[in-house]
Amino acid sequence: MTRSARFVAAGCVLAGCLTIGGTEAPHLPAEQLAKAVRSDEISIPTPGELFAALEKPGKPNWSGQFRGPLPTTYRNRAQIALNLGGLIADGFIAVEAQDSQQVKNIGSDIIKMAKALGVSENILSRGNSINEFAENNDWDALQEELEATQNEVKTSMQTHSDQDLIILVSLGGWIRGTQVVSAAVMQNYDERSAKVLRQPALVNFMQAKINDISPGMRDNPLVKSVSDQLVGIEKLVSFPAGKAPSPDDVKKVNEAVGHVMADIQQKSDGK
Amino acid sequence: MNRLVVIAFLAAALLLPPHLRAAESDQEVEAHKAVLDLAGAFTNDGFKMRDGHWTGTLKTGEHALIAVNLYAGNQYWFSVGAVQPAKKVEVAVYDETGKLMTTESYNEGERAAAGFSPTTSGQYYVSVGLVEGDPSSFCLVYSYK
Repeated sequence: MTRSARFVAAGCVLAGCLTIGGTEAPHLPAEQLAKAVRSDEISIPTPGELFAALEKPGKPNWSGQFRGPLPTTYRNRAQIALNLGGLIADGFIAVEAQDSQQVKNIGSDIIKMAKALGVSENILSRGNSINEFAENNDWDALQEELEATQNEVKTSMQTHSDQDLIILVSLGGWIRGTQVVSAAVMQNYDERSAKVLRQPALVNFMQAKINDISPGMRDNPLVKSVSDQLVGIEKLVSFPAGKAPSPDDVKKVNEAVGHVMADIQQKSDGK
Repeated sequence: MNRLVVIAFLAAALLLPPHLRAAESDQEVEAHKAVLDLAGAFTNDGFKMRDGHWTGTLKTGEHALIAVNLYAGNQYWFSVGAVQPAKKVEVAVYDETGKLMTTESYNEGERAAAGFSPTTSGQYYVSVGLVEGDPSSFCLVYSYK
């Protein structure tokens, strides 16, 4: 969608809001819901939110979800952005596992990838803060710092006219987070944990955002492949409201996101 | 009709996310400060505040609707702050079908919050309304645990 189209869409939102102005509407019509504001920074949950919900029934084996170090030498900007999002999700996992060395390693890789994308030098100070908080085992501060780092990367992308990369960072984080959560649920199935995987509207929103990016980026083979696979993933996470996915449903989600994650991590650049 | 379209476009500019707009206005910055003060209270109860926020402008009797994606098992507080001449704001949460959800509520004039614990993961809608006072900027943040 072009910027002017965004204005039109937001205008429709306002028009929709005006229709309920003044009176309490206990049930909003579908056309009004369709016009609600959706934004990267408030409509897409952080990996931290997902992980907080997962561990309500019982703490999973977070350190069992660590993965080996990623190459930080990708040349394809779309691939770097997707992996950067995944790395930030890894940072949240390391915080949940309370593994300070792992947090420091991931923090260092986040900075390397962010620099490869040419984001602001301010990001360097975030790396220092992550190290400092990790040294002091300040886990709450680390979670905040990881989210702030992700937002700073996105703001810098916006400033440098790299808007297309923003949704890829969010998407990479969601895919990695969903891979970890589905794996944890498979290892120790619990209906309450499994319920966190129901996110059809979120996948649909990210898919729509990818359709909104510039044709050049959208035609990137990796972006195209990820986008195509999202269509299937949206169906897999569309469980009926109130019904927990079965262990088999969870396995299917895990396989699907695992496949996308493998594509994202693959070293051979698309172009 | 044309006038309505122009008004909708102007107001739409105010509803765009901050990074798509010019710098936030002084009123929006003040609204952000007001809501951080309110949401900060929930952090004492173990809630983590999202770094993201949403700012916009409302007229009396209007509501803005913002889509969020929530996880079953988490508890959430949606906090809104506005500044004078706004006098009273309200927050409500609707599920993906548009049904009004039962929430805990906190109202203190131009600041309000709604506490909600979803039993189903998925999309919800936060409605922010200006009940009393004159048009003003508002800022929405949310916290979770």
